[in-house]
Formats: sequence, C-alpha cells, structure tokens
Amino acid sequence: MSRKPLVYGLLTLVSLLMLAPLLMTAFTSLKPAEELVSPPWVPPLAPTFEHFVTTWIDANFNTYFLNSVIISTVDALVMIVIASAAAYALTFLKFPGKPLIYALLLAGLMIPPTAIILPLYVTEQRLGLLNTHLGVILADLALAVPIFIFLMSAYFRRIPKELRDAARVDGASEIQVYWRVILPISTPAIITTGLLEFLWSWNDLLLRLLFLTQDNLRTLTVGMLFFQGTQTRDISGLTSAAMIMAIPIIIIFIIFQRHFVQGMTQGAVK
Amino acid sequence: MAASSRRWSPGRRKRQAWLTAGLFLFPAIALYLVFAFIPTLEVFEYSLNRWDGISPDREWVGLGNYDRLFGDRIFWEAFFNTVEWTAIIVVINVGLGVVLAAILARKIKGRIFFQTCMFIPVIQAPITTAIIWRWMYQPNGAINEGLNAIGLGFLATPWLGDLTTALPALAIAHSWSTLGLSIVIFLAGLQAVDDELYDAAKIDGATPVQAFWYITLPALRPVTAVVFVLTATAAFKAFDLIWGTTQGGPIRATEILATYMYKRGVLENNYGYGSAVAVALLVIVTLAMAVYLYMQARRDD
Repeated sequence: MSRKPLVYGLLTLVSLLMLAPLLMTAFTSLKPAEELVSPPWVPPLAPTFEHFVTTWIDANFNTYFLNSVIISTVDALVMIVIASAAAYALTFLKFPGKPLIYALLLAGLMIPPTAIILPLYVTEQRLGLLNTHLGVILADLALAVPIFIFLMSAYFRRIPKELRDAARVDGASEIQVYWRVILPISTPAIITTGLLEFLWSWNDLLLRLLFLTQDNLRTLTVGMLFFQGTQTRDISGLTSAAMIMAIPIIIIFIIFQRHFVQGMTQGAVK
Repeated sequence: MAASSRRWSPGRRKRQAWLTAGLFLFPAIALYLVFAFIPTLEVFEYSLNRWDGISPDREWVGLGNYDRLFGDRIFWEAFFNTVEWTAIIVVINVGLGVVLAAILARKIKGRIFFQTCMFIPVIQAPITTAIIWRWMYQPNGAINEGLNAIGLGFLATPWLGDLTTALPALAIAHSWSTLGLSIVIFLAGLQAVDDELYDAAKIDGATPVQAFWYITLPALRPVTAVVFVLTATAAFKAFDLIWGTTQGGPIRATEILATYMYKRGVLENNYGYGSAVAVALLVIVTLAMAVYLYMQARRDD
C-alpha cells in the first residue's frame, strides 16, 4: 500500500539512530590519529587496529578480558546446575515446607542488588572472599538464582509427569532422573539460563567494583571505569575499550538471538 | 515411587523426602540465604546503627539515621532526581515502545532485522553505554557536531556539564539501552491481538491511526503495566550509567539514590546512614515489584 514507504523509512531511521552510537564507536576505534578530526559518523579511510593492540596490551585489557571470561563462564555453568536442581525439587518432589521455600525465593525476585551492597561487602569480608573471583561468583549466583529457578520451573512444569514416573518405576534414583531424563530434554531452558547469566555477569559493574580492588583481578567493566577516569581525553583508547567489551556479547547475541530475546522478556524482572 | 515407599514408616518417608529435596535445593538456597536474603535483612539492622563497617563497636542509634535522612536536603534532592530520571525513562520507553511495537507487529518484510537493530543496545553493559554517551555528549562530541551539521547548531550545549540538561541527557542514554526490551515485551503482548480485528476495522474504513487507538492500545493495557513497572524499577535502582559518567554531578544535578548511597556508605564508610538510604531504595523497588508480581500471578490464574 501507499503507506509502506513511510513505515520502512521510519523503521530504518529509528534502527539507524539506535545503532549510531555503536557504529560511531566502532568507526572511531579504527581511525588512525590523523583521522580523528573527521566527524565520528564518517567511517575510517585507513582503518587500523593499533588502538586495540594498545588497549589490549598496555592498558591491561587482556587481563580484564580473561577475568571477565572466567567469572561469566563459571557463573553461567554453575547457575545452570544449581537452578535446575532446585527447580527439579520444587516441580517434581513432594516435601514439607515447599510453600516456605517458594515464598523465600519470591522475595528474592524483588531484592534490588544495589540496595544490599553494604551488608554484602561485610559478608564477603568476613568470609575472606574480598579480592577473589569466587566471592564475585557466589554473590552473582545468589542474587540471580531465584529468577532462574522460576524460569526453569516454568519449563519443567510443561514436561509430562509420566516421563519422570516411568523412569522412577524402572528403578532410577531422583538424581538419575534429573540428570539423565529431565536435563537432556530441557535444552531451551538451559541455553536461556546460561546466556542470560553470562550476559548479566559480563555486564555487572557494582559488585566487581566493590569486591575486586587489585588490578590483576578486575573485570572489563571495572577496568573500563578506571580507564575512562584516568584517560578522559584518549578517545581512541576509550572507543576501542568499549568495542572489546561489546564485540563478544554482540557475537553471542547474533548466534543465539531467539533465546536472548525470549529469555530477556521472561527474565526482565531482574 | 508408591511401590517402594509403601514399606516405609511415615516418619522415615518424610525424612527421606526431606533429604532428597534438600540435596537438590541446598546449593541454591544456601547461597541465596547467605549472599542475598540475610544481607537484605541486615540492611535494616545496619540502618539503626552508627558504624564504619570495620570496627567492632557499633553504636545503636535507633531511628536516628532516618531522623537525619528526612531532614537531609541532599537526600531529598537525590530522591526527586531519581523520580524525575525514572519518569523520563518510563515516558520514553512506554511511549516509543508502544508505537514501535505496533509498527513492528504488522506483517512487514525485514521485521526481525529491525527488531535486532533496536535490541542490540539492550545487551550492552551500562558502563559501555556510559563511555559511549559521555563521549557523544562532550562539547565537541557527536551530538553537538550532528546538530551543527543539520543547521541546529544553536541547540548545542555541554550536555553533561549543564545543570538543566545533565539528568535528562543521561535518562535518554538509559532509554537507548532499555527501549529494545520494552518493544519486545509489547510485541509479545500484541501477539495476543486477533488479526481479524484489524481486517474488520479496515473494512469498516478505519485509518491505521484509529486502529492503533481503538484496537492496539486497549489490547496492550495489561502489558503496559508490565513495561511500566519493569522500566521504573530498573531505572530506580540504576547505578552504573551515572557512576560511569557524571558521578552525580555537576554539583548534584544527577545525584540519584543509588549514587548517594554509594557515596555515604562506601566512600565515606558510613554504613549506618548509607543503609538508611539503601532502605529507602529497597522499600520503593520491593513494593513496586510486589505489586507487579501480584498482578502477574492474578493474570496467570
């Protein structure tokens, strides 16, 4: 119809505006020094990776990157196991006190992590977890586990009860049923959990800023905060740092797009 | 299960059920209690003390911190800044979100592509958003250069250095990184709307704007509540974006509850007073979330 061009024009404009900040950042990170005077929306004429090399090596971003990868990967893998295990008990097992556990976890959906950092810091300190990656990982898991338990439970509830009962009659233990029967058919929920927890962990600043004060332990988020605090004028450094942070996430997003969008819609309560 | 458990006494069966369930629940629940639930209770306790977070002696001051809080001009400034910041973000995300979702819900080619473009900012870290937008808002940054280029140079201003523009400018940056999520939630809500309604409206001679007003908007009312609460709570507890750009400045133009709590609690080691600020944040966000979850539960029934 005649309105089609208008709709496409509008959508293209909005999409461009939404991507513009990232595109300009990418352009600028690739510009050699003499091209920095050109407007940020002009692509680089002679692209160079020299700023990436400088940021990666001299500004210690290789260490930050590795720390981020370690924390986020462990977060994602452990979250899959503990959230699915708890969801299994809540969905398939009968035990006294179940409503209490539900209520407790429901409260967890409402806790804003920002508001509890002071006692959390003291807890980490008492347990000797400050300046350890373990301390960050345990807090990450604890703060996000309720949402993933509910996400997994919602998935498990759609699995026919007969499937589990049949396996139990055949003599399988609960652990075997969980590991061999339920988990293998729960791939979508597992992928969503892993992706979302990885993303949240990768992007978090506050807990890492508080718990990791040694430079060699810091993640990309903290590294970026301090880098921009000291190198305010180093546009090439800042834009390449932002790209180092953004590129892995964008790649993962493009591969698992559907899971991301669905998962974030479900997990938006966080 | 029934076959094997018939031999057991009720007490033993109960204990067995507990043991098995406990095994599955223990890692998640233990972590949650130690690193989330108990700290949440402790915020309230801390807020009744004067304490530097380190020394063994805490001084019980009762409601003293709250008494001070209610008389603290900077706290109220931060509170109203938080409300303004949240309001701007909610208006943008709900307003633009609904319109863009309504357009994307039509059967158009390349819909997934457009949706992806709008969603990519959502997966960026708030600190990445902070770095990029701080750079764009600089006096000679992309925003002002762009305004110059299209002949609107008279609007150019040091966005984050100006007392009146700093907070709205950062709110726009926050919306940039969350709008995609609002759109997707609205889209999910629109899938429930029957296409035949639109066809019928078209036959009756309704314009697309009328169809939007009389069909789309009423159908989206429940989802709008969802987007409203989620956007508002996310904005209310935001910290990274402001900490990565203005840290509350210039003067206190972008001081919000989270940054104020961080300054008093963490930077000044004032755990009691910082916790009182945190309680204000916690109570507001928790109440909003409780209302939201209640609405969700009622809808699911």
